[in-house]
Amino acid sequence: MPKKYHIHSKVMPLNLDYVYKFRIERGENCINCGRCTKVCIYEAHKRGKGDPRKMADPNTVVCRNCFRCIQECPRGALEKSLDKDFLNIGGSYWKSDMFITLWKQAEDGKVPVTGAGYRGPFTGPGFDSMWTDMSEIVRPTRDGIHGREYISTSVELGRKLNHLTFDECGKLLSKIHDTVDIQIPIIFDLPADNLSPNVKTGLIRAAAELNTFIVLSIEDITADIKKYIKNIIPLISPEEIDKHEGLIKSARIVAFEYKEEMSNAFPALKDKIKKISNALTIIRIPAKKSVEAIVSRLAHNGAEIIHVVADYRGMEINGSANENSRLGKDIIRAIHLKLVEEKIRDEVTIIFSGGIAMAEHVPKAMICGADLTAIDLPLLIALGVRLYEEPEKIIVFPDGLEKVTVRTIMQRMVNLMGAWHSQLLEVMGAMGIREARRLRGETGRAIFFEEIDNETFGKIFKKRETTNI
Amino acid sequence: MKPSTVQIKKMPSRFKHQVPKYKVTRSAACINCGTCAKSCPYGVHERQEGHNKMSAPIDYKCIGFECQNNDFYCVKKCPRGALSISLNPMYETLGDYRWTADMITGTWIMAETGYPPQRKDLEYNTGNSGGGFDKLRFKFPKGHPKIDKFEISTEIPLNKRNDGRANIIISTPVYGGGMSFGSVSLSTMVSKAHNAAIWNTFTCTGEGGYPELLQPYNDHVITQVATGLFGVREETIQRVKIVEFKYAQGAKPGLGGHLLGEKNTESVARMREAVKGTSLFSPFPFHSVYSIEDHKKHIDWIKQMNPDALVSVKVSTPNDVDMVAVGSYYAGAHIIHIDGGYGGTGAAPDIAKKNIAMPIEYAITKVHNFLKDEGARDAMTLIASGGIRTAHDLAKAICLGADGAVIGTAEMVSLECVRCGNCESGRGCARGIASTDSELADLFNEEWATQRLTNMYHAWNVQLVEILQKFGMRSVRELVGRTDLLEHIDYSK
Repeated sequence: MPKKYHIHSKVMPLNLDYVYKFRIERGENCINCGRCTKVCIYEAHKRGKGDPRKMADPNTVVCRNCFRCIQECPRGALEKSLDKDFLNIGGSYWKSDMFITLWKQAEDGKVPVTGAGYRGPFTGPGFDSMWTDMSEIVRPTRDGIHGREYISTSVELGRKLNHLTFDECGKLLSKIHDTVDIQIPIIFDLPADNLSPNVKTGLIRAAAELNTFIVLSIEDITADIKKYIKNIIPLISPEEIDKHEGLIKSARIVAFEYKEEMSNAFPALKDKIKKISNALTIIRIPAKKSVEAIVSRLAHNGAEIIHVVADYRGMEINGSANENSRLGKDIIRAIHLKLVEEKIRDEVTIIFSGGIAMAEHVPKAMICGADLTAIDLPLLIALGVRLYEEPEKIIVFPDGLEKVTVRTIMQRMVNLMGAWHSQLLEVMGAMGIREARRLRGETGRAIFFEEIDNETFGKIFKKRETTNI
Repeated sequence: MKPSTVQIKKMPSRFKHQVPKYKVTRSAACINCGTCAKSCPYGVHERQEGHNKMSAPIDYKCIGFECQNNDFYCVKKCPRGALSISLNPMYETLGDYRWTADMITGTWIMAETGYPPQRKDLEYNTGNSGGGFDKLRFKFPKGHPKIDKFEISTEIPLNKRNDGRANIIISTPVYGGGMSFGSVSLSTMVSKAHNAAIWNTFTCTGEGGYPELLQPYNDHVITQVATGLFGVREETIQRVKIVEFKYAQGAKPGLGGHLLGEKNTESVARMREAVKGTSLFSPFPFHSVYSIEDHKKHIDWIKQMNPDALVSVKVSTPNDVDMVAVGSYYAGAHIIHIDGGYGGTGAAPDIAKKNIAMPIEYAITKVHNFLKDEGARDAMTLIASGGIRTAHDLAKAICLGADGAVIGTAEMVSLECVRCGNCESGRGCARGIASTDSELADLFNEEWATQRLTNMYHAWNVQLVEILQKFGMRSVRELVGRTDLLEHIDYSK
């Protein structure tokens, strides 16, 4: 058995203020009896440091919503509410709770576990309208959670052959393309451009530690980070290839922004790179309305890896927010199906990014047809960054982040990915899938809301009137 | 046993205050005249003896805006207009989409009084999840019901195979879900069993052994054989009337059980024949079952060991759950118990609870229809669980095709669980329900808990009988599979 891929998580608190869910306030009718200190098992209530006759303000960050202080205060002097900051953060896609769970995973690297069942909506848009399947009695991996060591989450990037050809003597004629393996189906996408140097370095070192990649604009690849080039995907413009020959030589993958002329000119562009090195090429393409047609054209013209970029909420990029914008789930399925129909799906690698906010989005994007995913915002949320969707997208960096050590930043990102990796194993274990690459396009091992609802309730209750979910 | 013979007794909250829906505010204009204290019959306002000033209003006793039609409405009565009522921001911190604050409050009232709440401001029958049960409604016929409530039976048989084994009949079509000793406290477990005996129904040990204190209720206990085989012994199999195989559980399908080391205290470890403080895995799946034939071997083994017992098979809800159900029929099981993805009481990874396997509403429909098509429906008892929160959910599940249901969370909420979800962490349940911590597990006694459960079961039974009466049915068995009595608010008829 090959050496097991392992992500080394380590508890790494970050001493910056972050969002918390509950706010407890002590009313003026408190008689400082101290009952609350006795009943709270999380130590939210303590006596004042300066004056122990008085109760200190509640430390509501540790509150786990058990209601005991509220219910047992003899005077009913404690009040609890949802914190205003908590209610305001995020928006319709990036839900307030996500920030807290991402922050926590970055701290301890553990799979979020709670009791008392699921609490959310029955179904929702996009990835929330699908469930992964599992098998009760017959399934390929029969080992449950003890079989994790046999589950591989590695994926291959690059062009693959549809079939092999041989000559009459049985000699292999096909030239096998180079591919690059990474151990998790996640790469780090182009980071925001106003990052402080420690955050940027932390991101790069985390990518290196995880042995995955980070996409960086070529200008950002300064001399001090060139040593991480094996884990960096430089984003360059085709005109500047010659200028950056040195860098391309040592890179394993390079990326280009898609331009219209590329569909036809691509083979030449790829050849130009291949003359310099064995580096693979990624074409980064915004997820616009007809993206599947462009992806298909590029694939037919020899594209190796295509990175489809949706907006930060996983929606199609249309210039205007209209209701017909497709969501990640549907964009990926459309691309995947088109390539399958054209019998070219296996030859090209598809990366999807935009709106990958939780661990579950990784296997779901893959089930819909992506080979792997790219993420950006969750890595920043791990560092206490706040995101607001309304009235427009704003990212707020916490005060003092620029002073946090690179080690802390790196470890928190590694922790987050460790937690996501473990969750991917949970889902794959339940599905009975041993190889992450076999998740790709496995819609037969998923349950889609529209289909199951029609199959069951549709048959009973006849025609569907609204699509309001 | 007649449900009408069950003893109902008021059993109030064990805490001084309850969670208020409304907030009563007294402004500085108050002159402490005491008019409000004299008029409010619910005790929101009071002035303590010897005090000049009014005490702070006791919010949770207030019945809210519907009070404005009463003569004694304090807001109108106050000569200085110093009182106002608003929604309490605290209420938003209680509950979630599936179990709304109203539903939790409603269940608490049922557990306290034994009857559904009289208040009109609580929507306690359906949640806010926007799908499944929450979008199904009953189509009650118009006109007055003609059947007397006392003629309506809520009994269901659990053995429909006619195979010479015990003909077990339960008096209400609900029984308690498996929660192991270790995951819940001993008083929780014993009171669940005591209540099951009172209601002539069952409770389940879960996987974690059979505490001696349960022995007086042997006839109402289902013992579980799960993959870890914790606490399974020949004599535990032989002392019960139903043995349940747990293949998977809805909250974490395909992942098995996991008792965190912190909860594996000395007594838990002894019961499970394990080492104290170690995490105990109950792996998925049964490593000796690779096919329906293997499954049959297991069932035969139990049947051999206890010649009278019924066998229940608990599975979660993947796409092929219908096939598994038919397989269980051929393997000789009496009960197929399907556990939907959205339920569960114990600790589970959030990713599993939300994303793996389908909600119970779909699974009931699929299994019922498939068993019918295979000609096996009449020989199997179909029990649904995992997301049955209220009596209305229960009746809807039966309309979709189940014979009855298993509940877990509703029982926990009756014991004043607030669904904070921290069952697994540190010392465990802060409210002493799901904790084996010596101090926390002493927060309530068995008598209190048993009566709360009995009251809640009674309130559900009252509601179920009302539904049956409106449909003009004499038995809950007539309701099975009657999807024509339901409508889905997204579909037209």
